[in-house]
Amino acid sequence: MDIAYKQKIAEIIFENIRDGIIMLDRNSKILAVNSAIEKWTEKPVSDLIDKDCTDVFHDITGICPHCASKVTFETGEVNIVMQKGNHKDIAYYAELSAYPIKGDTGELTACVVFIQDITERMLCHEEILGLYTEVTQTKEYLEGFIENSADAIISSDQDGIITSWNKGAERTYGFTKEDAIGKFLPFVPDFLIDPEYEMTHRVMDGEVLKDIETMRKMKDGTIITVSLTLSPIKDAAGKVIGISGISRDISKKKRVEKELIRRNQELSRLFFISSAMRGTLELDRLLRMVLTAVTMGDGLGFNRAILFLFDEKEKILKGAVGVGPASPEEALQIWERLSLEKKTLSDIMRDIEIGPLRKDSFFDRLSRGMEIPLSEETILTKTAKEKKPFNIQDVKKEPLSDTVLIQQLGTHAYAVSPLISRDKVIGVLWVDNHFNRRPITDEDMRFLSGFSNHITTAIESARLFEQVALAEQELENIFESISDMVCFITKDYVIKSINKAVSKRLGKPHDEIIGKKCYEVFHGMSSPWAKCPHHETVETKKAYVEEVEDHYLGGTFITSSSPIFGTTGEFIGTVHVMRDITELKNLQEQLIMTERMAALGEVAARVAHEIRNPLVSVGGFARRLEKKLDGNLKEYADIIAREVERLEEILNEILGFVKETRFVKEIVNPNILIEEVISLIKSEVDERGIVIVREIEEPTEIYVDPNRIKEALLNILSNAVQAMGNNGTLFVKTYVKDNAAVFEIKDTGMGIAGEDLPFIFDPFFTTKKTGTGLGLTITHGIIEGHKGSIEVESKPGAGSIFRVFIPLNNIMDEK
Amino acid sequence: MKILVVDDDLHIQRLYKEEFEEEGYEVVIASNGKEAIELFDSEVPDIVTLDILLPDVDGIRLLRQMKEKRPKVPIIMSTAYDYRDDFAVWASEAYIVKSSDLDELKATIKKMLTKE
Repeated sequence: MDIAYKQKIAEIIFENIRDGIIMLDRNSKILAVNSAIEKWTEKPVSDLIDKDCTDVFHDITGICPHCASKVTFETGEVNIVMQKGNHKDIAYYAELSAYPIKGDTGELTACVVFIQDITERMLCHEEILGLYTEVTQTKEYLEGFIENSADAIISSDQDGIITSWNKGAERTYGFTKEDAIGKFLPFVPDFLIDPEYEMTHRVMDGEVLKDIETMRKMKDGTIITVSLTLSPIKDAAGKVIGISGISRDISKKKRVEKELIRRNQELSRLFFISSAMRGTLELDRLLRMVLTAVTMGDGLGFNRAILFLFDEKEKILKGAVGVGPASPEEALQIWERLSLEKKTLSDIMRDIEIGPLRKDSFFDRLSRGMEIPLSEETILTKTAKEKKPFNIQDVKKEPLSDTVLIQQLGTHAYAVSPLISRDKVIGVLWVDNHFNRRPITDEDMRFLSGFSNHITTAIESARLFEQVALAEQELENIFESISDMVCFITKDYVIKSINKAVSKRLGKPHDEIIGKKCYEVFHGMSSPWAKCPHHETVETKKAYVEEVEDHYLGGTFITSSSPIFGTTGEFIGTVHVMRDITELKNLQEQLIMTERMAALGEVAARVAHEIRNPLVSVGGFARRLEKKLDGNLKEYADIIAREVERLEEILNEILGFVKETRFVKEIVNPNILIEEVISLIKSEVDERGIVIVREIEEPTEIYVDPNRIKEALLNILSNAVQAMGNNGTLFVKTYVKDNAAVFEIKDTGMGIAGEDLPFIFDPFFTTKKTGTGLGLTITHGIIEGHKGSIEVESKPGAGSIFRVFIPLNNIMDEK
Repeated sequence: MKILVVDDDLHIQRLYKEEFEEEGYEVVIASNGKEAIELFDSEVPDIVTLDILLPDVDGIRLLRQMKEKRPKVPIIMSTAYDYRDDFAVWASEAYIVKSSDLDELKATIKKMLTKE
C-alpha cells in the first residue's frame, strides 16, 4: 500500500471512529483530536488543538486523557484505564487506552489516547455487580446458615471424599473441618460401608434419600444413630457431581423411643395379664400365662421364672408353676409366636398349653418338685420373711444363695420378689437370666415388683373364685338333691328357678314350670291364693312356715316362705320350700288311730279279761253242776250255763271277734304268684348253683290276699333252698286237683326227720340253729285263713315235698 | 299225760284242773310266769295251756321261752282276748279263746297230744 492510501485510510478512521482519539505530547499538549472527542468536551475540534489537555478535560469533564498518557510516557507501555466522568449530571464511564507513539528517533514523542464510551458496559457491569453482591450476600447467608446449623451438613464428591463440613458436622461427629475435608467418609462405621455405597449409587443416579435412620461413628469411636437425608449435587448441565447430606443425631430420640417401646411392651404385657385374668380364673392356667409374660425373649423380662406358693400349715415354700424355655432360641420363638396383635387370648393360651412352656414341661416338673421350709435360711425364705425383693448378682458371692436352686437349675444369678396380699406373704416369684446372662438391673427389679403385684392379685382372685365356685356348686348340689320342693318366686308370683323335686312332683319338665305364675302351677288358680305363705310374705315381707293342704297337688305340705332382698335392700321375692307330709300325716293319723285302737284294745283286752274270766268260771262250773245234778237242779244249772253262753256271744260281738283273720282278697292267677315268689329268691338260688325246674299248667283263678299267699309260699321256698345248701334242684309245679289250685314245691335237700314232722307248723319250732321257727307257722295260718291246707312229705337225706291247696275261686267264697 | 295250766284266775284254775283230771290227765298249775317256767322245767309237762294276760310277764314271751326249752311240747294259747288279728301266727289250733264251753279246748289238747 502506498503512503497516500495509508494516510487516506488513517484519516477516514480518524474521523469516523466512534471512539474519541486524542494525541498528546509529553506536555499534555493536544496535538490532534478527532471529531468524536466533541462528545467529551463539547468544544469544537478547532478549539482544542494545541491546548493543554488538562485545561480542557480533567476537572471539567472528569475525563483525563493526559492521566492515562502520563503512565504511558513513563512506562512506555500501553495503558488502559477506566475513568468515570460527569456530564450534565449523567455519570458516564470511559475507557482510555493510551498508546505510545515513537518518533523517528525511537523516542517516545507522543501518545495517542483512545477514549471509548463504556458507560453502557459499565452499567451492565454494575447490574452484574449488584447481582453479584446479592448472590454473595445470599451465599454468605447460606454459608452462615450451613455453617451454624445444628445439623451436620456435609458434601462429598462421587468418590466419597468430603468437600464440605459444617460446624454442625464438627459437633455431631467430632471431626474438625481439617480432619474431615479431603478424607473418605470418616464418620461411616465399618459395618455400614457397603450399605453406604449402595446409597451413594442411588443418589448419584439422581435419587433423593430422605430420613434414613442409620448409624454413624464419632471421632472418638462412639456409635450414634442419625437421621440422614442425601441429595445429589448437580452442575449447571444437570450432571451429578457430588452428594450433599444432612444428618441429625437422634440417639437421644432413639433412647426415648426405646424407652417408650419398652414401657409400651410392659403395658401390653400387663394388659395381656389383665386380660388373662379376666379371661380365666383357673388359677393354674392363669399363673402359667403370667409367668410366660415375665419370661419373654424380646429383651424385656427374664429367661426363666418359678412361682413358689407358701403353704401356711406346713410352713413351706412349694414350687407351684415353672416356666422356662429350654434354650435361648426356644425363648425367642415363644414370644414371636405369641405376638399379641395377631392372636386372640384363647389362641395364646392354647399355644402356651401345648408349647414348651406347658404344664409338665421338664422345667415345670422340676419346679414343682422343689420345697423349701421356712425354717431354712436362704434368699427365698428371706424374701418371704422380710417381704422384700432380693437381687443376687452372683450366687458364689452370696452366702444365703439357695443351694437347691443352684443344684437343680444351674442358676448363676437370680432375683426373688415376694407376693404380698393384705400384708401376708402368699408366695415368692423367682426369676433368672440363664440364657443371655443379662444382669438383672434395678429397672428389671421394678418390673418384677410390678408383676408380683399382678400375680398376687391374680392368685387371690382365682382363689376367691374357686371358693365361690365351690360354694356355688355345693349350693347347686344341695338345691338339686334336696327332696323337698324348693323354688324361687318373684314378688310378681313368677317362678324363677326350681329344683328337681319340683318338676318331679308336678310331673312337668323344667321349662314348663319356669316363668309361670306360682298360683297357677301349684294351686291351679288364676290369682294369688291368700292362704299360700308366699302371698303372705309378699304382703308382709316376713317369713312364714305353715302346714298347707293343697287339693290341687293332692296332699298336705309344710310350706315355708322366706323373703329375699336385693343388694339395695328391696324385696325381690321368696325362697319357697314345700315338704310333702301327706304320707306323714296319714301315718300320724293311723298312729293316732292305732293308739286309740290300742288303747281301746287294751281296754277291750282288760274288759274281755275281767268279764270273760268270770263268765268262764260261772259257765264252766254250771256245766259241771249240770252233769252232776238231776231234775230241776240240773235244769237250773243248764239254764245258767246257757245264759252264760249267751253273754259270751254278746261279749264276742262287742269285741268284734272274727275267727278268720282280715285278708285283702282279690282274684289272682296262681302261676303269676309263684313266679313272683321265685324271682324273690332268684339271686340266692343262682349263688348257690341251684337249678329250678318248673312245671306250670294253664292259668286258673283263686280269690286270695296275694301278698299273704306269696308270704306263705316264700317261707316254704326259703326253707327248701336252705335245706339244699349248694347245688340242688328245686321242682316247682302248679296244677288243679280236687277243685283246688295246688302249689307243689319239691327240694332235694336234707329232708325232715319223722319225729319232727308233726311239729313243723308249731310256733317257734325249728330244727335250725338260727331262725324263729315261725315261718311255717305263719304259712300255715295264712293258708288255713284262706280255707286251704298244706301237705308235707319228706324223707331224710332225699328231700321234702310241700303241697299247698287253695280252693278255687268259687262264688260261694266271695263275701 | 301231764298238763301245765298257766292262768292267774283261781276259779279258772280249779275249773280246768277238775275238767282235765276227769279226762284222765295229770294237772299242774302255775299262777304266773315265774311259776310257769319253774314247773315247766321241774314237772316236764306234755302240754301247756297258756293265758296271754299274766300279771308278771307277757304270755308270748313265756311261749317263746318254753319253746326254746323244749320245742316239741305243744302250747295252747288260751286267752280271753283274740289276738289273732294281730299276728296271723296264731291262726292255728294252738290258739283258743277262753270259753265256758271247754269242749274245744279239750279236743285241741287231745289232738295235739296224739300228734306225738
